[in-house]
Amino acid sequence: MAHTVKRHRGIMDWLTTVDHKKIGILYLLAGALFFGIGGIEAILIRIQLIKPMNDFVDAQTFNELITMHGTTMIFLGAMPIILALMNVIVPLQIGARDVAFPFLNALGFWTFFFGGILLNLSWLIGSVPDAGWTSYLPLASVDYSNSHGVDFYTIGLQISGLGTLIGGINFLATIINMRAPGMSFMRMPMFTWASFITSALILFAFPAVTVGLILLMFDRLFGGNFFYVPNGGNVVLWQHIFWIFGHPEVYILILPAFGIISDVVSTFSRKRLFGYSSMVFATVLIGFLGFMVWAHHMFAVGLGPVANALFSIATMLIAVPTGIKIFNWLFTMWGGSIQFTAANMYAISFIPTFVMGGVTGVMLASAPADFQFHDTYFVVAHFHYTIVGGLVLGLFAGLHYWWPKMFGRMLNEPLGKVTFWLFWIGFQLTFFIQHFLGLLGMQRRVFTYLPNQGFDKMNLVSTIGAIMMGVGVILFLVNVVITSTKPKNLGNDPWGDGRTLEWTIPSPVPEYNFKQTPLVRGYDAWWKEKMEGNTEMPAAEPVGSIHMPSPSILPFMMSVGLFVAGFGFMFAKDDFGNTALNFLFGNHLIAAFGLLITFGCMFLRSVKDDHGYHIEPEELEQKGVKA
Amino acid sequence: MTAHDMAPDNSKRRHRHEGKQKHIIAFIFSIVLTLIAFVTVASVGEVNPTFTVILLLVMAVLQVVIQMSYWMHMKDKGHVLPIVFMIGGVIIAFTAIVMSVYWVWW
Repeated sequence: MAHTVKRHRGIMDWLTTVDHKKIGILYLLAGALFFGIGGIEAILIRIQLIKPMNDFVDAQTFNELITMHGTTMIFLGAMPIILALMNVIVPLQIGARDVAFPFLNALGFWTFFFGGILLNLSWLIGSVPDAGWTSYLPLASVDYSNSHGVDFYTIGLQISGLGTLIGGINFLATIINMRAPGMSFMRMPMFTWASFITSALILFAFPAVTVGLILLMFDRLFGGNFFYVPNGGNVVLWQHIFWIFGHPEVYILILPAFGIISDVVSTFSRKRLFGYSSMVFATVLIGFLGFMVWAHHMFAVGLGPVANALFSIATMLIAVPTGIKIFNWLFTMWGGSIQFTAANMYAISFIPTFVMGGVTGVMLASAPADFQFHDTYFVVAHFHYTIVGGLVLGLFAGLHYWWPKMFGRMLNEPLGKVTFWLFWIGFQLTFFIQHFLGLLGMQRRVFTYLPNQGFDKMNLVSTIGAIMMGVGVILFLVNVVITSTKPKNLGNDPWGDGRTLEWTIPSPVPEYNFKQTPLVRGYDAWWKEKMEGNTEMPAAEPVGSIHMPSPSILPFMMSVGLFVAGFGFMFAKDDFGNTALNFLFGNHLIAAFGLLITFGCMFLRSVKDDHGYHIEPEELEQKGVKA
Repeated sequence: MTAHDMAPDNSKRRHRHEGKQKHIIAFIFSIVLTLIAFVTVASVGEVNPTFTVILLLVMAVLQVVIQMSYWMHMKDKGHVLPIVFMIGGVIIAFTAIVMSVYWVWW
């Protein structure tokens, strides 16, 4: 029988929470922090490139900036904000009370967070990763990069990657096992479908990068030879491992955005998503093909014409399911009564912008052309069109759309539209012109350039655009602050046109989500009930006591342990000029202490039986009044 | 939870226990497979090494099948998705390893 649970308040509540909605908000906060850091790095990069022969930062700092910008934005900025939305929305969309493994969910967040903090502490400690976000060898080997920079990269990403992997497995289990009665796979909202496929990609792709990072860590810290050519290692192996992960990673990033766009466009067109089953099929196909194209990042390595041709064709194939999606969104809007809310403006503008990123993608997929584009600003423009013009616009759409559900307050619409225009125009200014910079021959990753090559004005324009994007993001934050002062007075379905289950419960959502598990009678379950004149979902169970998981500090402590162990391993060979410190680090005592914390917490978790607690029906009534 | 809700759960659980005998057979079978493998390796000199390698691989595959289908319940109903994911994972890992090894070392 479950015991009564100790309820925590204030900061302890957040450190111990296993509630998927609160963990989602934690992901959002952490993602915003790292997104901000990555954004500042981007602005500094653009300031350095504003004019030829600029000396705003030196070459070393510039390398650090581009490395950390890429790494932070992909692993620590974009991923957590995706996971934030997945955490808050997916259980609601499938009619579940929580994710399958609430404890693991918290563990996933905290390992991600401490991994990210470890990586970014490199700025304060003074040796920053500088081998590019791909960390190619031999540049990233001890021979050419003998500061601790790349160690921060390998260890930070291993710890945060652990969190992402845990999150992915959790969502797979949740979506497979915890759907409400009647919520068959082919009735799941597109965002849930996209999250499902994304989680599968995480499951298959992250082990590859984890292996790669472990090998690189062994090379750097323990004298391994995996990538050390004189002793029989191979540097191209790293590129394979990295891109076997790296290409699915970009689909991990974009598929949730596809899901968000599908939900937002269909809600604000007041129409059923056009071609739902083909959308599902396309998502699955993109996920599968995403694993079969990694070598298109390596055309210039010299794999030979047959391999290059095969991977060219495989890559171009992905344009087919993506095209299906684009047309389905257009047909969803066709004939709909479209509302241009801020969320929908982001969603609609996503479509042409992402198409541009896709078209340059097909251009890059052609191996002979790629020899020209390779390592130029054309590539930079391409992937920013897919990631910023695709994913980030999708995330903004999703945040505006689901903000009322997460926080019980509607983001300010006029300010949201101003933000949209600033951000969107800024984005196009920054990156459209970079296509031409690349075609003119400006190389990626160069810290400066000579005047009078035709680069000067274009770089100036690009920098102005970047600053506009920065102002746009600041306006969004202002919007968040303004909104947080407003009263929480929204109903269940603040947009009025909600189609899916998350709009059938109060905003913000009570901790148990659904007082009674809903009975799903079709695709767009809530819309279907509305069309039949019902004001609430039919229930699949009587009102009863609800089983809830207990909060726990263990996930936080486990992650702290890994964080400490990471530092212990990294500085084991350093001379601190202090006997005590040298003794502690040199004998791996710090590392052992960190691992002891982690494994000790795992042991505690295993031996301590915790059956959670129950919320009784009487309590539900009291809360129902409040909500 | 009321008694009414529990009822279908119990019947399901009883159903699962029917496979006890099969589990014992599977257990004996996996021990036999392991023994065969051990004996083959132990009798160095008497058995052709190539034969040993092939036999070991066959034993390994059989062992995986038994472990998966009986102990991981893959043969039971409602395990379609785990099977799909396993096959998917195998295809992806296989492609990635074979292709990378091929390009890196040949």
